[in-house]
Amino acid sequence: MHEMSIAVELIRRLEELAVEHGLLRVEAFTVRAGVLRGIVPEALDMAFEEAARGTVAEGAKLTLEITPARARCRLCNEPFAPTVDSYLCPRCNQADVEIVEGNEILLLSLEGASTNED
Amino acid sequence: MKINVVKNVLEANDARATENRKKLDDAGVWCVNITSAPGSGKTTLLEKTIPALNDEGLKSTVIVGDLQTTRDAERLGGLAVEVTQINTEGGCHLNASQVAAALAGLDLRGLDYLFIENIGNMVCPAGFDLGEHARVAMLSTPEGDDKAAKYNTLFQPADAIVLNKIDLTEALSYDKTRLFDDLKKINTAAPVFELSCRTGEGFDAWLGWLRAKQTR
Ligand SMILES: Nc1nc2c(ncn2[C@@H]2O[C@H](COP(=O)(O)OP(=O)(O)O)[C@@H](O)[C@H]2O)c(=O)[nH]1
Ligand SMILES: [Mg+2]
Ligand SMILES: [Zn+2]
Repeated sequence: MHEMSIAVELIRRLEELAVEHGLLRVEAFTVRAGVLRGIVPEALDMAFEEAARGTVAEGAKLTLEITPARARCRLCNEPFAPTVDSYLCPRCNQADVEIVEGNEILLLSLEGASTNED
Repeated sequence: MKINVVKNVLEANDARATENRKKLDDAGVWCVNITSAPGSGKTTLLEKTIPALNDEGLKSTVIVGDLQTTRDAERLGGLAVEVTQINTEGGCHLNASQVAAALAGLDLRGLDYLFIENIGNMVCPAGFDLGEHARVAMLSTPEGDDKAAKYNTLFQPADAIVLNKIDLTEALSYDKTRLFDDLKKINTAAPVFELSCRTGEGFDAWLGWLRAKQTR
């Protein structure tokens, strides 16, 4: 359940951003996660719901985008898309890669009611 | 009001990991983060490795993550090294802040190695940088031959792979061909150390790798 630690970190970022932008409440937010993080969307939803209780993000709607992995061969520099069970470089047939994308967890946007509104 | 940001959710962990690595670099301590399923033999590996290094004058300290108990710390406490226990209270992996707190209580002077025994889990620890210099992914023969393929997010970024309990190879009719075939597609850069913590077979290569990493 690494989803719980991710949810806890998410809420910290949301709290920081809410203060920075004068939001009273976070109502919705979007997260982009690389497929290699192995996040189970339902598990993240549940973890978030639980961890957000009593915070500025309580009840907020989470939209999760999963992005595919991209790799670069450390031996021949070839960029390629690894699959679920293979990191084989199509050019030199070795599996010695740098993951360019697929491990990130990014908070992309948040929505909420600000102190200056209504 | 909608606000667009591009914020690394794990920035706190990553920043702390970088600080940990800097602190270890400054002290000349080389750090290994060992991850496997529960029972692969992480604690046993350390029980064998640390005295062997000590015999050569290489000093170690250990941070051990455990869900609830202090059993592993007690086992390792029998070695003449300082052992710091991190109880995650159910948390499925160690994070860089926990390691930072452990480091704050340690005198790193005169030490050569920091071994971190992560929580027994093949999924969650992989995503959390602790500030280590190398990641060791471990598995053992009773776990079957498909683990590298199933848990490739652990084995792909590993700097070394340990296959433990090779003393059981015959009894289990363990065929390592499948494992090695899978690794050919997942990680051809990491050395694979086939060893037995019980018989000591294969230990020389593993110790040689560790020795070569401590370059000061
Ligand atoms: N047969 C055999 N048993 C081993 C070996 N290494 C560890 N064990 C046993 O495996 C069990 C789990 O080991 P432990 O070090 O606690 O695993 P950990 O959960 O990864 O720390 C213990 O009963 C060990 O004695 C080995 O090389 N061969
Ligand atoms: Mg253990
Ligand atoms: Zn290549």
